[in-house]
Amino acid sequence: MSGLLLEMHGIEKRFGGVHALRGVDFDLKAGEVHALLGENGAGKTTLMNILSGVIESDHGTIRVAGMDVRYTDPREAQAAGIATIFQELDLVPGLDVAANLFLGHEIAKGVLGRFGGLDGRRMEREARAMLADADVAIDVRQPVGDLGIGQRQLVAIAKAMSHASRVLIMDEPTAALTAAEVTHLFEVVRRLCARGLGIVYISHRLEEVARVADRVTVMRDGLVVGELPATAPQGRLVHLLVGRPLDELFPPRGTAHGDALLKLDHAGFFAKRARAGWQMPEDVSLTVHAGEIVGLAGIMGAGRTELLSTLYGVGPRGQWRGKAEFAGKPVRFATASAARRAGLAFVTDDRRGSGLMLRQTTGHNVVMTVLKRISPMGLMSRAAESEMVVQAIRQFDIRPPRGDLVVGNLSGGNQQKVVFAKELLGGPRLLLLDEPTRGVDVGAKAEIYQRLRALAQRGLGILVASSELPELIGLCDRIVVMRHGATVAEFSGEVGESTLLAAANGEIREAA
Amino acid sequence: MTEGTVNLPAVAPHRRLWRDPLAVVVRFQSVIGLVLVLVGGIVFSPARHGQLLFLAPDNIANIVRAISETGIISLGMTFVIITGGIDLSVGAALGLASVLTATLMVNLGWGIAPTLIAVIAAGIAFGAVQGLISNRFRLEAFIITLAGLQVARGLALVISHNQYINISYGDTPGLAPPAFSVLGERLFSNTVPVATLVFLALAVVATFVLNTTRFGRYVFAVGGNERAARLSGIPVALVKITVYAITGFMAAVAGIVHAGQFSFGSPNDGAGYELTAIAAVVIGGTSLFGGAGTMIGTIAGSIMLGALANILQLNNINAALQLLATGAIIVVAAVLQALVGRREGSMR
Repeated sequence: MSGLLLEMHGIEKRFGGVHALRGVDFDLKAGEVHALLGENGAGKTTLMNILSGVIESDHGTIRVAGMDVRYTDPREAQAAGIATIFQELDLVPGLDVAANLFLGHEIAKGVLGRFGGLDGRRMEREARAMLADADVAIDVRQPVGDLGIGQRQLVAIAKAMSHASRVLIMDEPTAALTAAEVTHLFEVVRRLCARGLGIVYISHRLEEVARVADRVTVMRDGLVVGELPATAPQGRLVHLLVGRPLDELFPPRGTAHGDALLKLDHAGFFAKRARAGWQMPEDVSLTVHAGEIVGLAGIMGAGRTELLSTLYGVGPRGQWRGKAEFAGKPVRFATASAARRAGLAFVTDDRRGSGLMLRQTTGHNVVMTVLKRISPMGLMSRAAESEMVVQAIRQFDIRPPRGDLVVGNLSGGNQQKVVFAKELLGGPRLLLLDEPTRGVDVGAKAEIYQRLRALAQRGLGILVASSELPELIGLCDRIVVMRHGATVAEFSGEVGESTLLAAANGEIREAA
Repeated sequence: MTEGTVNLPAVAPHRRLWRDPLAVVVRFQSVIGLVLVLVGGIVFSPARHGQLLFLAPDNIANIVRAISETGIISLGMTFVIITGGIDLSVGAALGLASVLTATLMVNLGWGIAPTLIAVIAAGIAFGAVQGLISNRFRLEAFIITLAGLQVARGLALVISHNQYINISYGDTPGLAPPAFSVLGERLFSNTVPVATLVFLALAVVATFVLNTTRFGRYVFAVGGNERAARLSGIPVALVKITVYAITGFMAAVAGIVHAGQFSFGSPNDGAGYELTAIAAVVIGGTSLFGGAGTMIGTIAGSIMLGALANILQLNNINAALQLLATGAIIVVAAVLQALVGRREGSMR
């Protein structure tokens, strides 16, 4: 009796020419949270996909509760009590929460069941119980499409929990959650452990790992490079993760600021037609100077994304009330191209959905914003285009350094660098960022922070919304806190996490 | 490759493919298919007086003439499909254009130039309106162009009173200008059909526009990721309306060629041409999801379908079997594309 719930030995996997896993050992005890860390492409997700039957390994053995197993289908793994919360949520937006929770496991109703009749009431009742079990307060009759991304994540978690009797794999479960939701989730995780479940916790966020995990295994380039207790110092974890010491995740703050670029004074946006689920800017006061990085904090639904989108001209149609000026002129961009012409650029929080053409090349993607400049008389100039692409790849150190690779095949960090390169090629004056490092590994994060600071030093103004408070605190010169569409507090970059959190939850009001 | 070097950007959206044999096959699937069909044509060609019928100049002229109309349409269809759209109205628009051409010249006594200008303008407007409606109300192009198909067919029937409008040539009223009949003739000592020349000329222009202009790049961007394109400042709505104006233009030209080739305007002609054109585009390797495709593939796909039909006819294989063969080829082309797509998706 080894006491091990799960043992994976010598797992190998190749995708075409890529050796994704090169002999990985991993184990899990009942009642523990075992964190799996690694940069994008390190092989964490591949390893877990093998465990949960999504793909098969080329070599290696898996033992679950002492029995050799080999799952060829996710259903087999599920039946064995191994459930996964996937990075990309497997929910159907058009169906309600209850239907999603029972997708593929619908409960039939008596005689009618033979003809496909379903017991909706029973499913609703049990769905409610499942959500209660995960401590999630969401109406089970609401269509999933109406839920925010954080709420969807909670539904997905509840769904996976209901299948997990032995092992629960959580792949970046907090990527879209607010701080309060994360705390909540961790309580649920601890309860599950107490019931004897083993939990594999994949994350990029080191501080989370320290909070929730018992052990940490670090992977790099398809190999396990270390196993540590979760209490190990962060510096050591980072060193293992990226293979070199990271002196500073964040670059030093800037000093000199230029003129005010963006100036909002009690500015609100009056939309001609309300958009469901949108928290319009109501009363926003903030200033971004050239050369300055200003952070936007706030819980989900505080209106950060909406503020950025509206400034950039891609929100609903309408008008600004109060004072909203960019470079001394009133802000009224009806389209993204108008905003771009004026000198704005916008990196959205959805790299795949609204950032990149995933099936096209790095080159094609980065020049998207400057096509006019490299096509005199409407004809593409190949020389000008190559020059732009080379410049973009150098500036952001996109790897591999080639313009002709399909972007969808790059790592998440490099995809994000392509997004940045694309937005910055046009030489904007103000850069709007929404969750700029979501799903990006630590190494790439540090690089992105350094480049943002370097750009600011050359006079770019940056307004960055993020749910990762350490990121805002480490990166920004000033942080503005939003709540219910209004700015409620403003701090220097030296503020503590708890103060920011309190302000975001409306517990502190401080004059800006 | 040494550290620090940067390769020149590719012009085609998929350039890396040389390392991946399956991807190479898909990229050139229509050209490979065309070669296979031509080889098959030669092998299975019946012979007369020691000469292969398939390779007889008359037969080749027939093939390239037969594909000219659907070929022209498929050029426009390529733009639309790369943006992620579809245009089902083009066959009916061809019929409408042929009726308009005949009516203007025969019944109204218009000259060639005003007729061509009017018909082409009508075609562009017809396409642009469909693009406009589908854009303004965010409706699927499928449904709007399906409606457009009915509207075009209905208009053609109304204008022609549901009758063929015969075009006879002469200088008196009621007769069309004799020069118009050139569309049904062959040039260069009676070898190259004029209709084919029209197709080739438009094919060159379309290839140029797609590959080397800013507009061409916009088309790929809109199909590659519409939201990203909009956020990048690309005039998405204008691009989408323009591609439907292009299909309208191509359908109008094809309709004029049709009227010239057969010397009549017919309200019911062109039915199903849209499907042949879509087939040529898909066989040519253009993705129905948008964002990827080539004009040269479409051209090869068109010729391949024409050559295939010709071989089967020469061997007296009936029309039903021709349909089956075409269907099988489309399935093969789509499966090959899906295989490559899956491989690209497997990494992440």
